[in-house]
Amino acid sequence: MRVNVSRIIFCLLLLSCILPGAAVAYATPESIVASGNVYVSRAVYDPGVFFSGDRGTVTVYVTNGNANKSVVVNHATIGDKNIRLTSNSYETSANIGPLQTQTFVFSLATDAIEGTYYPIFSLGFRDAESLYYPAVVKIDNTPLDLSVVDKLDTFTQGMKKTINVLVANPRNNNVTNVALEVTGDGITANPERIFIGELGTKAKVPVNVSITPEKATTVLLTLTYNNGDNPHQTTLELPVAFGVDKKQADPVISYVQVTTEGGIYHVTGDANNAGLETANTVMVTALAPAVPQDPYKTYVVGALKPDDFGSFEVTFTAGPGNTSIPIELSYKDTDGNIYRSVQDVKISSSGVSVSPDDGGFSKMLPVAAAIVIILIFVGGWVYNLRRNRQ
Amino acid sequence: MPGMDAIITVSATVGDLIMTFVIWLIAAGVFYLISFLFKGQGSFNRVLEIVGYGYLPQVAGSLITVVAAVILIPGISVPTLTKAALEDPAMIEQVTKAFMHDPAMMMLTQITTLVSIVFMLWSAHIWIFGMKHARGLSPRDAAVCIGVPIVLYVLYLTYNLGVM
Repeated sequence: MRVNVSRIIFCLLLLSCILPGAAVAYATPESIVASGNVYVSRAVYDPGVFFSGDRGTVTVYVTNGNANKSVVVNHATIGDKNIRLTSNSYETSANIGPLQTQTFVFSLATDAIEGTYYPIFSLGFRDAESLYYPAVVKIDNTPLDLSVVDKLDTFTQGMKKTINVLVANPRNNNVTNVALEVTGDGITANPERIFIGELGTKAKVPVNVSITPEKATTVLLTLTYNNGDNPHQTTLELPVAFGVDKKQADPVISYVQVTTEGGIYHVTGDANNAGLETANTVMVTALAPAVPQDPYKTYVVGALKPDDFGSFEVTFTAGPGNTSIPIELSYKDTDGNIYRSVQDVKISSSGVSVSPDDGGFSKMLPVAAAIVIILIFVGGWVYNLRRNRQ
Repeated sequence: MPGMDAIITVSATVGDLIMTFVIWLIAAGVFYLISFLFKGQGSFNRVLEIVGYGYLPQVAGSLITVVAAVILIPGISVPTLTKAALEDPAMIEQVTKAFMHDPAMMMLTQITTLVSIVFMLWSAHIWIFGMKHARGLSPRDAAVCIGVPIVLYVLYLTYNLGVM
């Protein structure tokens, strides 16, 4: 009987060594109340809105709302069948002090279709039941928007044209590393790549790209960006067709007058812009066989807005026998392309510009009149002599 | 060169005045010589006299020409030659050609030529009667004597009108 008592005492002592720890793991009314004051203050996803197939992270902030009591947590995880956890769960004990916040970071992946999902975050307490929190996340496959604002009707071979592109972010989260790349067979783009950087939600950025096509082709605009750490891209095809731009500047020469002074021809007139765009740096000069002479070898009219006009004067010499001289009119568009047009100006020998040659009629009329007068005179005398003879 | 214009103007005026008398003499001489072919009789002075009378209609013709010139000359573009151009024969030729082909100048030339033809034939009409009496020619011979050179002359003027 003494042995049994000693054994019982030994067991009690052994339990007394173990009990201090085991006694704390037991749920008590106080620990349950304390765990009730622990809450998820927020859950932040990166990216904020997922594409289907994206990978990302979620950071869950757990706050201990107790003013003077710590809580011990020993398990944390998140996920469901649509939002898969790709990192490990938290399986170690952690103490969250009074009014302190503990973060839990998880890696996630999803292949779900568009929609709103509620993966459950669960947090296990040592001295109480677990905490469950639906951390809402959206999956939206809307890409960034890429559009040409001022689309050109036509291009001209070898001529640079600027296209205005608008990059917009219709998503509900920011995207980063946004860049626009311009490629195409037979084109030269400047710049070929434009880095835009971060683009906030609902934000838009205008981008200008100059394109010089050498042949009819298709320009591919590729917009690349990152949603979190996930690369995405949007493309836009822009057909390049050659033709005459209906809106381009169209300077024409009118009211041309030609005079001579000291053997030098002076051609004056007006350069009118009959187009719908501004003609910059309009210049007028005479081409061969004319030899430009001072003081107006080349006349710079300047910029001509639509329906505007400017006077010009060019001076040159021309060898004998030249009845018309080509006058070249050149201008630059807003991209610096140089356009040239040539218009023949008649220089009569008198140095006065004349319209189509009517010399045939004007020369023959007085000749005919003279012949008639002579015939009347001769005929009259012949008739008179014959009558006198009779 | 200063004063050059005045010298040119005076020279041209005096030259024209002298040429009028020279042509009068030449015309009288030509008619006188041709009349020899028809055995004309009469002095050269008489021929000179009737040729002078025959010129009278051409005074009226000159008045018409002056009116036409007053109207048309302001419209003629007269080239101004620089010193360098004056030393270049090709340039002078080109400028002269340009001046003569000025539309206003061409019109003035046509009008003066036609007026000259009309009044020259009028003068010829007078000359025929004058030669008939001055050299004792038949009407036919006088007409041939005056008509042939005058018609040739006006045909020459007409030709110039065509090739102008």
